[in-house]
Amino acid sequence: MAHLAVSDVRAKYGSLEVLKGISFSIEKGEIAALVGPSGSGKSTVLRALMGLTPITEGSVEIASERMNYSSAKEVRAARDRMAIVFQAYNLFQNMTVMQNLTLAPLKIKKWPKAEVEAEARRLLGLVGLSDKADAYSDQLSGGQQQRVALARGLALKPQILLLDEVTSALDPELVGEVLDAIGKLAAEGMTMVIVSHEMGFVREVADKVVFMDAGQIVESGAPAEIFDAPKTDRARDFFSKVLRH
Amino acid sequence: MNYRFQFGVVWDNFHELLEGAWLTFQLGVFAFAGGALIGLFCAAVKTYAPRPFRFIVDAYVVFITNTPALIQIYFLYFGLPEVGLRWSNEACLLIGLTLNAGAYLTLILRAGFISARITEIEAGQTLGMSLLQQVRYIIVPHIAKAVYPALANFFIVVLVMGTSVGALIGVDELTGQAINLSSVNYRWLEYFTVVAGMYVVLTFIASIGLALLGQWAFRVKARIF
Ligand SMILES: Nc1ncnc2c1ncn2[C@@H]1O[C@H](COP(=O)(O)OP(=O)(O)O)[C@@H](O)[C@H]1O
Ligand SMILES: [Mg+2]
Repeated sequence: MAHLAVSDVRAKYGSLEVLKGISFSIEKGEIAALVGPSGSGKSTVLRALMGLTPITEGSVEIASERMNYSSAKEVRAARDRMAIVFQAYNLFQNMTVMQNLTLAPLKIKKWPKAEVEAEARRLLGLVGLSDKADAYSDQLSGGQQQRVALARGLALKPQILLLDEVTSALDPELVGEVLDAIGKLAAEGMTMVIVSHEMGFVREVADKVVFMDAGQIVESGAPAEIFDAPKTDRARDFFSKVLRH
Repeated sequence: MNYRFQFGVVWDNFHELLEGAWLTFQLGVFAFAGGALIGLFCAAVKTYAPRPFRFIVDAYVVFITNTPALIQIYFLYFGLPEVGLRWSNEACLLIGLTLNAGAYLTLILRAGFISARITEIEAGQTLGMSLLQQVRYIIVPHIAKAVYPALANFFIVVLVMGTSVGALIGVDELTGQAINLSSVNYRWLEYFTVVAGMYVVLTFIASIGLALLGQWAFRVKARIF
């Protein structure tokens, strides 16, 4: 059974349908990459999974459990199982790095303080920021802030991590450090759905590439299939543009 | 110009001025705190509530900010007994000042609500925060930080200009005390010189306290003057 199964999901912004029946699935420990032109609906897929954009039709299953997004309690159930990291990091600016990581485990989950802090330190070590526990976000570079956001997402021990263009807002020289951190998570067996324009990185870590255009999946498959032998003109066209540089 | 200052009589009654200063300080703090609660509520209504509620808040703010505080307090002081409500002078002053501060603080806090970042709120939601937790951990700290300097300035306005209106309805705050005492022995110049100094000390203490509080709570750089 698939760990995450998305079946025929549709979503709207107002009257504009931006997801027109999205289906894909991944096994535990796998990584799916959503790729495609800007505006194709990649972010909306992740937002819909997190209950930020309402799903109008279709179903989402995690570990064979159906996620319904019809009440606050059910939305919370989905948010218990997944964490999202945004392009713009969205750290809590009035809090230190440590407080960003520990707020939700302490105040929402009410997990024991010593355990939460130990785990937070482990995660900061994992993303290479052990010395920044007491810094505020405006004292960090973009790459550092994004690594804090990754660690914050992991602090609630999600089963699935969703990453939305987490390197797109970064200066080129900072992209590598964030990709390194994600690579480590991949090596630890984290199940992830990532939206990325870093095709080299996607080819390296993804088990499955899902190519989207205009709210639909045009084709999907293993990275080698999709990148080297796309079956559709649209995919061929897109990859010929993005892979050239 | 051969006026001879005689401060002796002022020092003899200095403890009464100190009592006045203490009352001024209390009035300032309570009116500001109450006004902040009203302002927080009204700013939230203006940001999130449907039109009729926003209209009520707008009417309140427009009415208060376009009429003198003295008139508002006279309204309570002379008007309420007409409808059978008898409040003490202090209560009229405190409630009038609170309602007055509430309207100005609505405007100040509203700016903070607008600046609260939707992205941080979404991050909070996806971490599983309830609406109340979002308000407590994200929105309020954010607003407080964004508008803290304006809040601190406004506290001084309430403390000095607001409370001294009390003298006109017989409240013995600092200005009122000075008027009472100097009308006994006609040492107006001496009393008001000393009282002006006391206001300066009072606002200086308040400014330093607020600056330190801001730095400690919100990392707002301390700038006292
Ligand atoms: N908040 C919104 N309100 C209305 N339309 C939106 C909103 N966010 C995104 N859209 C539209 O939905 C479509 C898909 O957007 P998005 O999922 O962000 O695409 P991608 O992440 O692939 O660039 C686009 O046409 C975009 O303009
Ligand atoms: Mg996007």
